[in-house]
Amino acid sequence: MELLRTNDMCVTFGGLRAVDNVSFHVEEGKIVGLIGPNGAGKTTFIDGITGFVPTTGSIKFLGKEISGMPAHKRARIGLGRTWQSLELFEDLNIEENLQVAAEDQSVLGFLADLVMPQRKRSKQDVDFALDALGLRGLAHRLPTEISQGQRKLVSTARALAARPQLLCMDEPAAGLDTNESQELGSRMRGIVDEGITIFLVDHDMGLVLNVCDYIYVIEFGATIAQGTPDEVKRDPRVIEAYLGSSAEAPE
Amino acid sequence: MNERTATTYLRVLVYGVAGAILVFLLINKEYRTQFLSGSGIAQGALIGAIALGVVLTYRGSGVVNFANGAIAMYVAYQYAVLRATGKFFLPPLPNPLKPIEGIFGVKMPNIPVALTIRNAGLAFWPALLISLGFCVLLGLGLHFVIFRPLRHAPPLAKVVASVGLFVFLQAAVIRRFNTTPQATPPLPTFKNTTQVHIPFNKWTLFTISADQLFVAVIVIVFAVALWLVFQYTRFGLATRAAAENEKGAVVLGFSPDFLAGTNWVLSTVITGLLGILVASTQTFVDPVGLVVLIVPALTAALLGSFSSFGRTTAAAFVLGMQVQVVQYISTKSWFPKSSATAWPGFEFLVPVVAIVLVLFLAGASLPTRGAITSGRLPFSPTPPKWSVRYGGPLLAIVIALAGLFFFSPLYRGALTETLIGAMICLSVVVITGFVGQISLAQLSFAGIAAYTVSKLSYEHGWPFPWPILVGAGAATLLGLVVALPALRVRGVNLAIITLAFAVAVDKVVFGNTSVTGGYVGPLVKTPSWIDPNNAGRYHFLGLTAGDGLQPNPMTGLFCLVVLVILCYLVANMRRSTTGRQMLAMRSNERAAAATGVNVSGTKILAFGVSAFIAGIAGGVIAYRTPGGVGADQFNYTASLVFFAFAYLGGISSVSGALAGGMLVPGGLLFIFLQDKLGVPSEMTLVLGGAGLVLSAILNPEGIAGGLARDGKRLLMRIRARARPPAPDEPVAVPVTTQGTA
Repeated sequence: MELLRTNDMCVTFGGLRAVDNVSFHVEEGKIVGLIGPNGAGKTTFIDGITGFVPTTGSIKFLGKEISGMPAHKRARIGLGRTWQSLELFEDLNIEENLQVAAEDQSVLGFLADLVMPQRKRSKQDVDFALDALGLRGLAHRLPTEISQGQRKLVSTARALAARPQLLCMDEPAAGLDTNESQELGSRMRGIVDEGITIFLVDHDMGLVLNVCDYIYVIEFGATIAQGTPDEVKRDPRVIEAYLGSSAEAPE
Repeated sequence: MNERTATTYLRVLVYGVAGAILVFLLINKEYRTQFLSGSGIAQGALIGAIALGVVLTYRGSGVVNFANGAIAMYVAYQYAVLRATGKFFLPPLPNPLKPIEGIFGVKMPNIPVALTIRNAGLAFWPALLISLGFCVLLGLGLHFVIFRPLRHAPPLAKVVASVGLFVFLQAAVIRRFNTTPQATPPLPTFKNTTQVHIPFNKWTLFTISADQLFVAVIVIVFAVALWLVFQYTRFGLATRAAAENEKGAVVLGFSPDFLAGTNWVLSTVITGLLGILVASTQTFVDPVGLVVLIVPALTAALLGSFSSFGRTTAAAFVLGMQVQVVQYISTKSWFPKSSATAWPGFEFLVPVVAIVLVLFLAGASLPTRGAITSGRLPFSPTPPKWSVRYGGPLLAIVIALAGLFFFSPLYRGALTETLIGAMICLSVVVITGFVGQISLAQLSFAGIAAYTVSKLSYEHGWPFPWPILVGAGAATLLGLVVALPALRVRGVNLAIITLAFAVAVDKVVFGNTSVTGGYVGPLVKTPSWIDPNNAGRYHFLGLTAGDGLQPNPMTGLFCLVVLVILCYLVANMRRSTTGRQMLAMRSNERAAAATGVNVSGTKILAFGVSAFIAGIAGGVIAYRTPGGVGADQFNYTASLVFFAFAYLGGISSVSGALAGGMLVPGGLLFIFLQDKLGVPSEMTLVLGGAGLVLSAILNPEGIAGGLARDGKRLLMRIRARARPPAPDEPVAVPVTTQGTA
């Protein structure tokens, strides 16, 4: 089933087209990758899908048009994301970070909480996310007290705690060494087995080529290639964009 | 039409209307004489003087100085006293020897009140030079003692420090001289007020006295000079570079620290000098009227984007000159009336409208500084289970027993003040502590509720508890209005908006005698069991509460019950989904939105809850004061003062609000200090202002946060000593900003 489809999506900043007429789609149960050189518009693309920059063109999620919908509503209908800069809630402990994502609040719920706060409402989702990334032991620590690698896992766990249909991950491997990157890859496979589709944006060609089922390549905001990892690896335009004219197989 | 073009049209519309009004004021002879009056222009010069200092400080150090009006007032006072008596007065500071005097009954020396320079009034030049010398010291002091240590602190801490400075300077002058205006002698060459006619094409455009013209020209000259300095000197270039990027200034060979300090000194000297000159044309200076000009001055600075000296000065003159026009219009028969006189205070609405238009519609805002690091807000701990289940109830029972059976009348009165103060502090905790939005208008919400209670209970005869709820509802609505600008702006901008709003409500609503019941204040029909004037005794279970003296011990009990309910609601909210969403939003708005938090909705909710709590407090104040609340209880200074004490107590937790309540004027702590140690009660605000500044620098988590942190460390140390740590157990004790209250 098709989860997300964009048609001619554009993002403009003043005179600059950061995302230029990109049409792509994500199938359920897959890991779809987006790669491109620095400044190609990868993060802007995620921002556009998740509602953090205004876009033109169409974005359909689960068959429903979502362009113009505020970011928090997109998150609630199952479009989760992580940030390259992590953006953890520094004042809340790890468990509470996850609870924020897992719990929705209504006016009635607010009034009920004033009388009797329900602390365990989201326990299942939070536990699922903690276990998926092996963070059980850190639940009551503050983000300032854990290592950078652990913070990266928390940022993914927080997105998972909302039980998204589609998880957009912005550069999750940035700053990880090869071993950590491979471990991340296997964790992503585990997440997909839980029924969550992943849209992965990353620099790390090794990770993207290893885990993705389908890959889009963009440069200067426009799609230049797409296909399975093998097809993309051989595409001359990709090799040019990534490595200049001296073509060598990417790591 | 998309949002961007809509904003453009709106901007054109707003500027067009503003321009049309200006043209009308200049063309129409009737209004022109008002608009171009000498006193209006002098007022504009004064606002300009304060605004130039604000812009200079902001460009130099990134601090929005809410205290600049107070600085102008303080220096002008200093000068006026030197001219009158030849004495250089010193700020009143607590005498550390005083407690010894109180306890042992030995007479100890007092701190000197003033330095006598000459036993008669000084002439113009010596007085001016001494005052300016003081300005230099003040500027250096402000930089090195207060704002340099705060340079990497979050904007909240800087606002808090400058609000503390505001409270301290004003309280210091009021403590020395009451609110009596101090006469300012005319400037030496302008002893005779000659009128100057400014010609335009054969006829007189307007008439102005020579000294007023002089100060207006001086202010303009300073604006031009500052522009030239910033445009063409290396120093100005480096300051501009530092505002963009602190490393940039280092490359130019200036330390950002040196630049900030120099700009502070420049700012205090210019503000002081211009303040003295303009005050001299106005024949007197008083500690209230001059200080409030910070609101139009901040408005002018905003209109100049906190960077343009020219636009700032022009806006300041217009904001000063509009006062005469508005006051003239209010003499017209069609102007809204209250108690048969013109509805007062509309000239204070103009800055609010200007600020809202500029910030909200035109989308302008303070340029943000590229500081190298910026700190975080004080940590907000989740209330632990034991404090909600046992600590809170135990504390409430102890207070109830003390208030009913043990406290003398003096302490019973103080207890009510503390409990009510804690309610107001609680409202600050919700909006500033949990959500990180600075509201300087909390007492406006309380005041609206108090006046609503008075109307309903006294004029419409509503029975006891209901007016409080309706009043709190009215306050909540007002809170939602203030929340709207908060959706677009945050941080210091919001603090400016709420301050302007508080001043407008203060002047327009609370200054209106048909709303407030004149000098008496709002009367309330209080049930006799709450009435503090009811010197009753109460018997239950064989015990007697009350000693047959005023105030009624049940008043305190009533306040306690309300406070306990509010504390529980807030603690529950903090422990629930809503509380976590608020904290998440405080940490990081876009990440909160990405995890599904409705940022706008949560902000509006927080403003509503905060205004509701302040409204309940206002209702309680009304019932506690059946004979009419003093109008100044709800003015904008009161909002600043309570904000100060809330921050001192601890801005981010319920226990912090309780600590804040202990500190408020007339509350338990200061009554204790006065009663047992002989510290005069007027020192409350002086100490509070100074304490706020110190707290912002040294202990941003407030008294409650600090105590909790120290307690936790102590507990950990005891535990660590009791048993050796297991090998795999993390031993690191969080020492930075963690604590549990």
